[in-house]
This record gives sequence, structure tokens and C-alpha cells, in this order.
Amino acid sequence: MHITFNAFSFARNKLKEQGIPCVNVAREIDEGTSAQDFIDELELSKKYVEAVFINGTVMPKDTVLHEGDRIALLPPGTPGSYRLILGIKEMGER
Amino acid sequence: MSDKIYRVNMKELNYRIEDVPEEWMGLGGRGLTSTVIAAEVDPECHPLGPNNKMVFAPGLLSGTIAANSGRNSLGIKSPLTGGIKESNVGGTIAGIMAKLGVKALIIEDIPEDDSTFYHIHVTKEHVTIEPCPELVGKENFEVLDAMLERYDKKVAVMTIGTPGEQRMMISNISVKDPKGKLRSHGRGATGAVMGSKKIKVITVDAEKYKETHLADPEKFKSANKVFTKALQENPISGEGLPAFGTNVLVNIINEAGGLPARNFRYGNSENAEAICGETMADNIKARGGSTTHGCHAGCVIQCSQTYNDEEGNYLASGFEYEMIWAFGANFGISDLDLIAKIDNLMDNIGVDAIETGVTFGVAAEGGLLEFEDGETVYKILSEDIPQGTPLGKIIGSGAGNVGKILGVVRVPVVKNQSIPAYEPRAIKGQGITYVTTPMGADHTAGYAVATNILNSGGYIDPLKKEGQVELSRNLQIASAAIDSTGMCIFVAFPALDDPACLPALIDMINARFGINLTGEDVTSLGARILKTEHAFNLKAGLTAADDRIPEFMKYEPLPPHNVVWDFTNEEIDAFWDF
Repeated sequence: MHITFNAFSFARNKLKEQGIPCVNVAREIDEGTSAQDFIDELELSKKYVEAVFINGTVMPKDTVLHEGDRIALLPPGTPGSYRLILGIKEMGER
Repeated sequence: MSDKIYRVNMKELNYRIEDVPEEWMGLGGRGLTSTVIAAEVDPECHPLGPNNKMVFAPGLLSGTIAANSGRNSLGIKSPLTGGIKESNVGGTIAGIMAKLGVKALIIEDIPEDDSTFYHIHVTKEHVTIEPCPELVGKENFEVLDAMLERYDKKVAVMTIGTPGEQRMMISNISVKDPKGKLRSHGRGATGAVMGSKKIKVITVDAEKYKETHLADPEKFKSANKVFTKALQENPISGEGLPAFGTNVLVNIINEAGGLPARNFRYGNSENAEAICGETMADNIKARGGSTTHGCHAGCVIQCSQTYNDEEGNYLASGFEYEMIWAFGANFGISDLDLIAKIDNLMDNIGVDAIETGVTFGVAAEGGLLEFEDGETVYKILSEDIPQGTPLGKIIGSGAGNVGKILGVVRVPVVKNQSIPAYEPRAIKGQGITYVTTPMGADHTAGYAVATNILNSGGYIDPLKKEGQVELSRNLQIASAAIDSTGMCIFVAFPALDDPACLPALIDMINARFGINLTGEDVTSLGARILKTEHAFNLKAGLTAADDRIPEFMKYEPLPPHNVVWDFTNEEIDAFWDF
């Protein structure tokens, strides 16, 4: 199945260095893949992913992805109270 | 020698240097400016008339070696909102005033002869107030150069451009930063109040000051060490902000569906990729700018930057998320370099990035110009506004007034002040801050995260209203307290991860003054400041009916989450139950 994939800030730089497209790109993944499985496939450590947006909402990393989902990987470093009020800290720890 | 209050009267064109009243001793920054405004300014006064005052006050820790303590507060009654205003700025002014022993600079009344503008120069012993006809009609960088030529290069400078002279609602007061660029006492038409008092420029002597006195230097030093370490080792303040600046938020807020686009019609922008922090950082790397720049001495976060064009020529510094959002996502300019040129132009003439950007969005909605047309924006800002043409006066009146003039319904303001870069329908906690803060729509009113918020517990869905009022209240109390310390509100970021951060900050305040504040005392201070400001607004004639979101947000679902603003009045008003 297909998802749309984005990576931000340090994760984007890291993936770009490896030649992995990560700005609004379609990716094929297996059925039953969770966000964390997907992060593991990309070999990104916690240093590069604090939280995951799925379809515009920060979700737990063990959330299973579905056909057509939009996923964005967010590294540590979100300023303001937004790390709190978007649920980045809370969901990032789940 | 103890700190003093410097009081300037613009009608008499004289000054007094006074002892600090006992009840103001423990206050600084916003705590002091809001207390003085509430005590001395008639809430019903016309903000541009003789009875309004300007109160400049460095924070409690300004002038010390404490990291990130160089923020200055300005208090006024705002001509934009009709309520109290505290505007917070970096630059060199806070440190210099604190070292000189200026607890607050209070400016009263207006000159009887309004045929010229004045230059106020503050030294340790004297204040001079002299006409400066040669500076009238000049913009900020030219005024800054004239002051640097006349005084020591370190002199603190606060100036208004032609929009401030014309008392426009989008005008700021511009403040010299350590690299000779400008920062802004923004929001709320601060420049218009300075213009109404016929003051073109204020300078503060930087040659004869002494280091601030510390009651317990050893304790101060060790607390500062803990504090600085917390800032530098945190992924936000230590890595994210220095690498991408606040503009790292474009992609994040866009992904969350909360990036207001096309005058608040959408929660996503097609320009996000073109204007985001990652693109900006790539450009800086390729063109030889710098991703790090501190707005004040002692800043270890360095969230600001120097942004060059393709030829490597300077375009802008202090190129912040809210500015880039206002012109990129909300107005629709996809060319980051053009946005940078507009940013530098706005620094030069001294207008507020958020108020001006949102005003252009409303003006485009009303058919005065086209969305995306950055060249016309540049022309209006560089010609019509300085010359005071009818078009310049209209744009200069701010988003709320332009909405009325053009018959626009979609006018994103609270208390007549433009809503910044975070959509209240999709980020509801932020929306509660916009409607309840005494400042008018202001994201920084609920920016600081304090430890008590962590204890309130649990995930709060940004798209739903549950838990948001309490969250916003805690954020606003923390922000009011931090704004009184002279600290940049970004210092509170590590508090989410590092329990040593905020206690170290309180230890520094205690070591500076030889007192024993606790965390609870600081929270109480924040709560007291908010209540003082709210009481002023009520006396000024603002009511609960002013604590409301623009109506269109209640019936227009915001894509992509298709959410509306759904708080009842009772839910909003419960904010003040503390």
C-alpha cells in the first residue's frame, strides 16, 4: 500500500544525506506497518524522530498505517508551547 | 547605589530622578510596567492623548551575566486594542538601563508645541530633551546611524520611523541590537504612542554604567551555570532553534493543519515548502549567511539569523516564523527572498510584522490588492506609508480598521489586534490564549511552559476544547512571570525535560536581590500580573464580549481538519476563575 511521507528539520537533513527522498513523496509499505516500523526501516534513531504526525495529528508511534495515510516525522526541537499543545511531548513518549 | 525611577515629562520638557517606591522594589519587566500603568494611567484615557504614559523597564535579571536575560518591557495603554499592553524586546536596551541603575523610564504627557519631534538622552545623572528637526521624516536605520555617530557605539537606541510619527496602528518602536540591526517593541501600536508624545528617538548612555550589584555572587554564578547548561543541552534551545530558527515551525504548524493561509481561509499553505525553516537554512548555507544570531548580549540560544540573497548580499536578520507566515502563507508570497526584503523594509520604517501582514491579507480579501502580489506590498510599504498617502494611511490603520473600511467579514482580530500564525480553530489552546489575554491576540502571551503544567497531566487534543482553558491559563501565568525576569520566553522550553531549569532561574533572582522566592511565589506573581492587567482592561471599558473569537471562525470549518471554534462564552469566561 502507499503512503505520503515527509520528514522535517534534522530528519530531513539526515535522509537527504543518504539520498532518500523525504519531501511529500509516495512510499510503498507492507500492510500492518506501524509508524515505528516505518521509522525503523529508515534506520532513524530517536535523535531524529521525537513524534509522528499521521494525517495532520500527532499520534502514538505504534499506530498502524493505512492506505493513503500522510505521515510526517518530527525531530526534537519544536519551539514555543507547541511541543506541549500539539501533543508532541506526550505522544512522543508513548 | 540603588536603582532609580527616571521620569520624563514631555509637556514641561523636564525630568525627575526618583527613589523606587517600596511596593515596586521586587518588580521588573512586565510585572513593573503593568503595575505602573495600572497605578498611574487613567484606563479611560485616550491612548494618544496627554494622559497615557510609556513605561520602559528592564527585567529583574537584566544587566547580569545570566544567560538570555536581556529582554526589556514597555507598558502603555494601546491605541490598537484600547487595553493595557506589555511589549517585550531584545536588543541592548535592557542590559544598559539595568547597569545604569534605571529601574524604569516613565514618559508622561505630550508637548504643547507639536511642530517638531524630540530626542531624549538618558545618562546616569541627567536626562536631556532636545528638539531634533533634522531627524523628522527619517527612517530607523538613518536615525540609528546618526546616534551611533554622535555617541559611543554601544549607546542604546529606541526609535520610530515615519509610521510612528504618523501615529499609525501598525507602528513599532525599533531597538538597536548588539550587531547594529533592529529589534521591535512590537504589537499594539507602540510606535504611535511614542509619536503622540513627539519623541523620535531615545538613547541611553552606555559609557558610564557599572555592573549590576549581586547580593550573593557565588550563588548567582553557580545557578547561572546550571541554567545555561539546561539551555544548551536541550534539543530545542540547544539545537533546533540555532539550526532552523523559529521558522522551523512552518512545516510543523502546516502539518498540524493550523497554518493560517489566504487570510485564514485554510489551515495549510501551498507555499509551506518554499518558505519553511529547512529551505531558509539551505539558502543560508548556500549563500553564506548565518543561522545563528543573538538578539541580545548573553543569549546562548541564538534563534535569530542573517539571511542573504543569491549573490551573498545581506537581506534580513531576525527573520522570524510569524513574519514569514504572515507574508508567505497568509498573504501568499512564495518568494522567500522577497519576504526577506519586505522584512528589512519593515524594520527600517518600524512596523509590526504580524499586524502589517494580516492587514495585507484583509486588504486582499477586500479587493484592495491581489493575494501573492509582493511587489505591490513592497511599494505600499516603501512609498505610500512613509508618504502618508490615503492608501498608506488605510493600510497603516491595521487589520480591524481595514476590514471595516472594505466591508470584509473575515477579519482575524481579537480586541482589534491581528491573530498571529497559529490557527485558533485547529490549535484550540492557542485560541483560548488569543481571546483571554489582556493584550489582544498574542501568541507570546501563552508561550512559556512551567513545571506546574506538567502536573496537570494527560494528552490534550489540539482539535478539541477539553482541557484547553486550564492549559492556556497555566501557560499565560508562566509567561507573565518569565516576562518579568528579563528572560527571553524561550528559556522555558527546557523546563519540559529538565526539572533543574526553572529552579535555577529562581535561584538567580534570589541571589541577585538577597531574597528567598519559591516557585509558588513566582507563579503567584504571574497570576497577579494577569489580574492587574485584566482589571485595567475592565476599567478601560473592555468586557467579556471582547474576549471572543471572530464570528466567522464559528461557522466556517477550517480545512484540512474541518474544525470550527466551538467554545461557549461561559467556557471562555471561566478562564478568569483563579
